[in-house]
Amino acid sequence: MSSGPAVADIGARPQALGTVLRVNELSKTFPGTKALDDVTLEVAEGEIHALVGQNGSGKSTLIKVLAGYYQADPGAKAWLNEEPFDLADTADSRHHRLRFVHQDLGLFLELGATDNLALRGEFLVDPLHRIRWKAQADVARQLLGEFDLDLDLRRPLADATPVQRTVIAIAAALVGWEGGPGVLVLDEPTAVLPPHDVTRLLEIINRVRSRGTSILYVSHRLDEVFRLADRVTVLRGGRVVLTRPVAGLTTQTLAELMVGTEVDAGYRAGLAAAPNRPVVLRARDVRGRFLAGVDVDLYEGEVLGVAGLPGSGRNELPYALVGKLPGATGQMALDDSAWQPVRKSASFDIPLVPADRARESVIAEFSVKENLTLSVLGRFRRFGLLRGRSERQLSDEWFNAIEVKAASPDDLITTLSGGNQQKVMMARCLARDPRVLVLCEPTAGVDVGTRQAIYEFIATRARAGLSLVVSSSDTGDLLALCTRVLVMCNGKVVREIAGDEITEHALVTAMEETEQE
Amino acid sequence: MTANTPTDPQLQHKAAPTGDEPAGSSARAAATGWRANLASSLSPRNIGAVYVLIVICIVFTIWAPSTFPQMATVKQILDDNAITALAALALIVPLSAGVFDLSFAYVMSLSGVTAAHFVAANNMNVFLAALIGIGAALIIGVINGIVVVVMQIDSFIGTLATGSLVEAFISFVTGDNSINSVRLDGTFSQISQGSIGGIIYPVFYALFIAAALWLFLEHSPTGRRLYATGFNPNAARLADIRVNKLRFCGLLTSATLAGFAGVMLASSLAAGSPSAGTSYLLPAFATVFVGATVFKQGRFNAWGTIVAVLMLGTGVVGLGLVSAPLWAIDMFTGVVLIAALSANAFERNSLLRGRVTRFKWLPARWRTT
Repeated sequence: MSSGPAVADIGARPQALGTVLRVNELSKTFPGTKALDDVTLEVAEGEIHALVGQNGSGKSTLIKVLAGYYQADPGAKAWLNEEPFDLADTADSRHHRLRFVHQDLGLFLELGATDNLALRGEFLVDPLHRIRWKAQADVARQLLGEFDLDLDLRRPLADATPVQRTVIAIAAALVGWEGGPGVLVLDEPTAVLPPHDVTRLLEIINRVRSRGTSILYVSHRLDEVFRLADRVTVLRGGRVVLTRPVAGLTTQTLAELMVGTEVDAGYRAGLAAAPNRPVVLRARDVRGRFLAGVDVDLYEGEVLGVAGLPGSGRNELPYALVGKLPGATGQMALDDSAWQPVRKSASFDIPLVPADRARESVIAEFSVKENLTLSVLGRFRRFGLLRGRSERQLSDEWFNAIEVKAASPDDLITTLSGGNQQKVMMARCLARDPRVLVLCEPTAGVDVGTRQAIYEFIATRARAGLSLVVSSSDTGDLLALCTRVLVMCNGKVVREIAGDEITEHALVTAMEETEQE
Repeated sequence: MTANTPTDPQLQHKAAPTGDEPAGSSARAAATGWRANLASSLSPRNIGAVYVLIVICIVFTIWAPSTFPQMATVKQILDDNAITALAALALIVPLSAGVFDLSFAYVMSLSGVTAAHFVAANNMNVFLAALIGIGAALIIGVINGIVVVVMQIDSFIGTLATGSLVEAFISFVTGDNSINSVRLDGTFSQISQGSIGGIIYPVFYALFIAAALWLFLEHSPTGRRLYATGFNPNAARLADIRVNKLRFCGLLTSATLAGFAGVMLASSLAAGSPSAGTSYLLPAFATVFVGATVFKQGRFNAWGTIVAVLMLGTGVVGLGLVSAPLWAIDMFTGVVLIAALSANAFERNSLLRGRVTRFKWLPARWRTT
């Protein structure tokens, strides 16, 4: 291969800075689908380059091809610092200049920061091959030094906060990098971070950039793209829609580019407040882990939001309401029922869509159908056996109703994108015809287009009389859906915001202010 | 414009099937469905062990043409492996719920010794004695349930511990002496040595239990919930599945079935041996895990287990017919286990990385993705 190939012309942008990473004519075909189609990507020296696209647009595939996990179709060309390299060769020296922080971070949570960093580089040993722990700790401290991380380096990372772990993963990815041109790929680093931690992480990413490292930043959150990135590449259906500077774009135009049709980035369900309707669910003095006495009244057809920072009880309250928070105490009543202790509230048959899809809701080994009907299997029982035809009928109905993008209900659930999996999880709960539905993080890891579909789906249900509790760390969810929002702090409801007063500003200030009180 | 008007399933349910999209898609699925299903169910990915079994049969037919391809060999294979099959089937339910039961082998010894004792010492009715033996096994099942589900001790260690206690108890009571008596040679031995058409009863018991497990696991709500519990206990719990109850019942099932297998074993030996069950520990686990790669990807299942038992049993009987040395049998078992599982693992890895098209050897339109 000859070096110094002809510079590919991407749009009209002049090559002001040197290009660190360039990929041309990259395609990737899976059986039945073309995940990537003639993709061109250029990352300039010292820039933060955002890569956005809906789920299924080929983002993850592109990252996995770059990482050598997937093999590209023949014909793809790639250059790193103007030197051609083979995308298929995972042992290639490009790894010195192309580093990855994948979404799951790839850390060993049982080990401390020192070990995690040493495992990426090498252990310092004395002549007897014993590890020199002091020196090792110094190395770790030095690597983490510039990120001001307040952390005991020996404690297992299971005790660290999510943002600390992310920073350690970034430091670990950069082990052995002496600075200078190269690309650090960050795959959805903020997916699980609360808002104030996101700000901190973005600062740290900027600091990494200032060392001369280019960053390829993959994210669902468009606001971060505007806060951080210099340029953005939009993928849609496996093709590059465009690559251009962020300046001059708006959230709206970017979302439209991703979806391909006009999308209101600030979707509002516009549900009417429901104070005159009957109260469906009452909870009094709910206590438990992170909960210090919460009262809830949920009206019919209402979408009640629960906001708060991590540790405020925002995440725990939904689990307590469905009787799935171990050790919770308090009283609950549904409609005109008698008061019952919350630990017995499972008898109220309130379904929950949990926050962590992979760990708490999806059965990865099951098909879409099996996942969907899991909670209503009892209905198909005849003489102790399943009536397969009735089960199939119900799953087909929901499969079509929620517009799952999959070939058939018999496909494995893991072949679906995150957004479509979430739809299936909601269908699992709604199939029970519940009076009340509790949703946690309904749009975590869900792309913009599907997100709106989920909002509309929830709104339709609420108009039909379903009452919902929505707990979310994403204010976008609360803004889009809620008629009333409870802001939590230290296990108590400290504010109640309703109707038109629910604004991004009001929510964020309520959460942050109450934190300081 | 996508997903702007999600249809209400209730509405759709009531409306006549005017929605052309679902009708079209189901028609399409029906047209290509059976071929794709046939192709996928014949793929080595799904029935690797069946192919290995066929290869073993061919090899021995060529190697020992006068002795292997005989009805007598088939009967011998079935007879020799019926109790292994019973032991392996006992493990399916707890494993599906995500718990190990390592005590089952000792429970087999316990029930066998108990039944033999009551027949030999008290001249008790054989069936009553067998029931008492199974009852003793059930008590261990309850203890397992308390240790694993109530006390939340890891099932691998917990059932190893209860197994050890059972062994100690058997040794304490029997003084490590086998129970022998002429009374055991009568009806007691007949419950497993009796035969229909030259095939002993335990073969039919195993087939019956396999059929029952198949119906239960794949065609009952509880079976589906059991699998969900094993795959993702958190998700199962949050979907209002009673995880602990299912696990407890799983351990009761394995103890009961192991108790039954133990009585069969004692009957076939016409003796109550205090350590008879121990040798079934590893074969049962090996076959049940191979069984999980057959027919139902990654799910412990009855017919897969039966195929795995037959695959190993056929080889062992074949090796006996060609007078292979003793070490050859262990070697064969090891090689076959790895072969049966590796074909499977290889294809799974290739699929994961998108490097191999599934069913490459099929015409394109028959392939599934």
